[in-house]
Amino acid sequence: MLTDRITPSALGTKALLGFASLILLGVVAAMPARADIKIGFQVPLTGPAATDGKSAQIAGEMAIEDINAAGGVLGQKLQLVTYDDQAKSDQAIFTANKLIGEDGVKLVVNGSYSASGRAAAPVFQKAGVVMIAAYGVHPDITRAGDYMFRLVHLGPPQGAATALYIGKMLGLKKISTITMDNDYGQATMDGFLEAAPKYGIEVLNKYSYSLKDRQFGSIVASVKRDNPDGVYATGYFFTGGPLVAQLRAAGITVPIVGSQAFDSEKFIEIAGPAAEGTYIIDSFDRDRKDEALQKFFTGFKERAGYAPEGVAAITYSAVKLMADGIKRANSAEPDKVRDALAATKDFPLLEGSMNGFNGLHEMIMPIHVNEIKDGKFKPAGEVGDLNAFAPPEK
Amino acid sequence: MSAYTVSIVSIIGINVILAVSLNMISGFCGQISLGHGAFFGAGAYAAALVMVKTANVPLALLAALIAGSVLGIIVGFASLRVRSDFLAVTTIGVNFLFVGFVRKQSWLGGEMGISGIPPTGLGASGNMILILALACLTVALSLHVGRSWMGFAFRAVGEDEQAATTLGISTGAYKLAAFGIGTALAGLAGGLYAFFTQFITVDAFDFIFSVMLMAMVVIGGIGSTWGVVAAAIGLTLLPEAIRFVNDYRLLVFGGMLVLVIRLAPGGLASLIRNVFVRVKQA
Amino acid sequence: MYYIDLAVTGVSFGCMYAMMSVGLTLVYGLLRILHVAHAAVFALGAYATVLAANATGSIALGFVAALTVTPLFGMAIYRLLYEPLLSYRPDVPMIASVGLLVLMQDAFRIVFGEQGVTFRRNAFSFTTFDVAGVTISAVQIAIVVTAAIVFLGLHLFTTRTRIGVGWRATVSKPRIAASFGIDPIKVRYLNFAIGSALAAVAGGLVALLNNLVDPAIGFVVSYKALAIIVLGGLGSVRGTLLASLVLGLVEAYGTIFIGAWLDRDAIAFLALIILLMIRPQGFTGARAA
Repeated sequence: MLTDRITPSALGTKALLGFASLILLGVVAAMPARADIKIGFQVPLTGPAATDGKSAQIAGEMAIEDINAAGGVLGQKLQLVTYDDQAKSDQAIFTANKLIGEDGVKLVVNGSYSASGRAAAPVFQKAGVVMIAAYGVHPDITRAGDYMFRLVHLGPPQGAATALYIGKMLGLKKISTITMDNDYGQATMDGFLEAAPKYGIEVLNKYSYSLKDRQFGSIVASVKRDNPDGVYATGYFFTGGPLVAQLRAAGITVPIVGSQAFDSEKFIEIAGPAAEGTYIIDSFDRDRKDEALQKFFTGFKERAGYAPEGVAAITYSAVKLMADGIKRANSAEPDKVRDALAATKDFPLLEGSMNGFNGLHEMIMPIHVNEIKDGKFKPAGEVGDLNAFAPPEK
Repeated sequence: MSAYTVSIVSIIGINVILAVSLNMISGFCGQISLGHGAFFGAGAYAAALVMVKTANVPLALLAALIAGSVLGIIVGFASLRVRSDFLAVTTIGVNFLFVGFVRKQSWLGGEMGISGIPPTGLGASGNMILILALACLTVALSLHVGRSWMGFAFRAVGEDEQAATTLGISTGAYKLAAFGIGTALAGLAGGLYAFFTQFITVDAFDFIFSVMLMAMVVIGGIGSTWGVVAAAIGLTLLPEAIRFVNDYRLLVFGGMLVLVIRLAPGGLASLIRNVFVRVKQA
Repeated sequence: MYYIDLAVTGVSFGCMYAMMSVGLTLVYGLLRILHVAHAAVFALGAYATVLAANATGSIALGFVAALTVTPLFGMAIYRLLYEPLLSYRPDVPMIASVGLLVLMQDAFRIVFGEQGVTFRRNAFSFTTFDVAGVTISAVQIAIVVTAAIVFLGLHLFTTRTRIGVGWRATVSKPRIAASFGIDPIKVRYLNFAIGSALAAVAGGLVALLNNLVDPAIGFVVSYKALAIIVLGGLGSVRGTLLASLVLGLVEAYGTIFIGAWLDRDAIAFLALIILLMIRPQGFTGARAA
């Protein structure tokens, strides 16, 4: 009789089991499936490169969100571990050591300038950590070793492509050049100067200015005296903007060609009506009828308050590429991801389809040119002759 | 010890040498130098060039020391000509001239800097130990000088030059000595830095960095070796420990500099001394 | 034509440097303090002009806003930072000033963004005139005209008005002036107010010239201002004007030649150091260093 009451009924047993399994399910679901995959991220949030650093940071975060919203990679979520490297080499080494030692990161995207990439590359290479340099253009970055990848055209090839564009496609022969004297500006201009004779370009005069300059009175007066067919200048949008405005204000009407880092809405804002007709080499094609691109455009503009430029687009793509590499490698192990990345073919970057990487893990892709018309970036051709500006293999 | 800890301790060591050496010039001897980065840089470049050519570590360190002090003594001569705040302006100018000049010289690497500096062969941990050893020596030297006759002469010159002259102290000679020693040590720190990063660009030695160093000296307490050591360690670790400080570095450092000068010009060292005094009275 | 173009550039720069540096020399003349943070006042003026112009749609109102805000800022710096430190040796307030400048630059970056700010609608910056083959922009004309008005006004103020004369007297002979009943404290505030207002005008004009104000704008000019006030003779407004024009012209003609082996900022400092070594009292020898 006593035992009668204790004996569970069949329904009760089922209920109990059902309840228990519900709890178990809940517990299992609440537990993280596995640890998130960490992606290290170096960006210059402070210092002279802070403008690009902010763009890169927002773009990187957007990429992670988009990837995770689509289910992550290999069933895991990606997590961005961000550090400010101030675009300085010692900070880059520091933060690299932090990422490797403290955060145990094996895959890194470097969204900073060349000084940072160059210093961090050997550190990551030694630790066997894969690094994709989103927009650092110094040759030393990929030379550090096979774990390094670069997703932007090197300075010298950009310069060489510029020579082709100016000499062949625009048909201009007498050019005055204005170089920004940091490693980016100089490397790009060197590429131009080397390739210029091949397309019949005569360089009338070479001028240079520093990153901090916003006043170019002397250079402008000298260019006016040169009376060239065209002007080619390397620099960033915050130097290019004032420069182009002042060149036009001085009555110089010939075509002006700018380097990749001019590529920003802010350039048009600063230069105002003077921006009209400026060509920008390796500028990203905003008109592409690509859903991902348009979605990125609107999303970025909402978050940042300004339209994205090349830096943002390439950083977004760098993170996406890393995720794709993990997927194709079917593993987050750096060796396997490295091999998968090296084998990349026809990957859709926001800027267009990239053909792949060469032996030195330099990106292979045609160079797009934009012209500013009616205050907007309009496509103005493409330098498709990949051999004319092939990046080095060593 | 993780690679990260080794690198942080190395940087702390280098900053301690820099701050303590600046304290000898500006704290002991009262010659305000806002261009200490230039001597640091001179040493770094000298060591880098020697290492690239010969990979000889002692030679590189010696070159660094000499480069720093030669530049320093030249600047020291300037201190004989102009008054304290104009000396400060001159030192700012020297910093800018150094950076501006190096930027344009291709044999010094120009904008690209000097990369591929050969390793010392000691490894990262070995480098760290070398840095710590030299930092300890620097602190010991500073303490010794502070208590010696030279330190007394420095202080006399720093506090009241005219009175010092009447005491028969050749102020010029002592100023030069202060500059010479302080900048030699800064140069040494530069050499160690070159070993650590194996890649130097001129941006690391700019005016802003010099201001940070002065902030360490002021906050630690001008003239107090231990105060400056504490400030150097603390201010190097602060951006690492607190994310906010890292993102708003210049704001925090500039702000601390202003607040300390305004409210406690004697720095941490004087605050601590006050605490002790008050405690005794209790 | 080329050399005239360079001359136009040099003169307009010189006028702009003059307006920026006068405030610095005035503070030095009165208090013997190197008011390095004056560059932050200048930067604030530039930002205020752009932001107010964008908010109201009128560039003139932008300048009005700048002229209202910067004197207050300048006077606050005096009251909160320098006044309590007057009893210390001169490098103490100077270090504090440097700290303030560094702080403000970062503050501008944090508050207004790294990208900087630009005028939303600004035809003025892009208007140019062609005078016999020489291109002169409207902004350059504005700079020269403004500088002329400002300096003439300053001259009249200090020679014809009571307050102005009193101010001048306090700067050269403070004790005698005080014995005449002129309040030295009021003079100090006036000093900072006027110097800051001039810096604001200079800042607004630079903003128009570049159509861009970024956080570093103060730094670039601050070094040159230091060089200028020493070259011109500390405390001398006339000397500052002269030295500014000289530096402007030297830069315009020199950058092309010297730019190959020395940074532009460094040129100003080189001149400064050489001068401090040879002739610490500057061109007009108003005060010894």
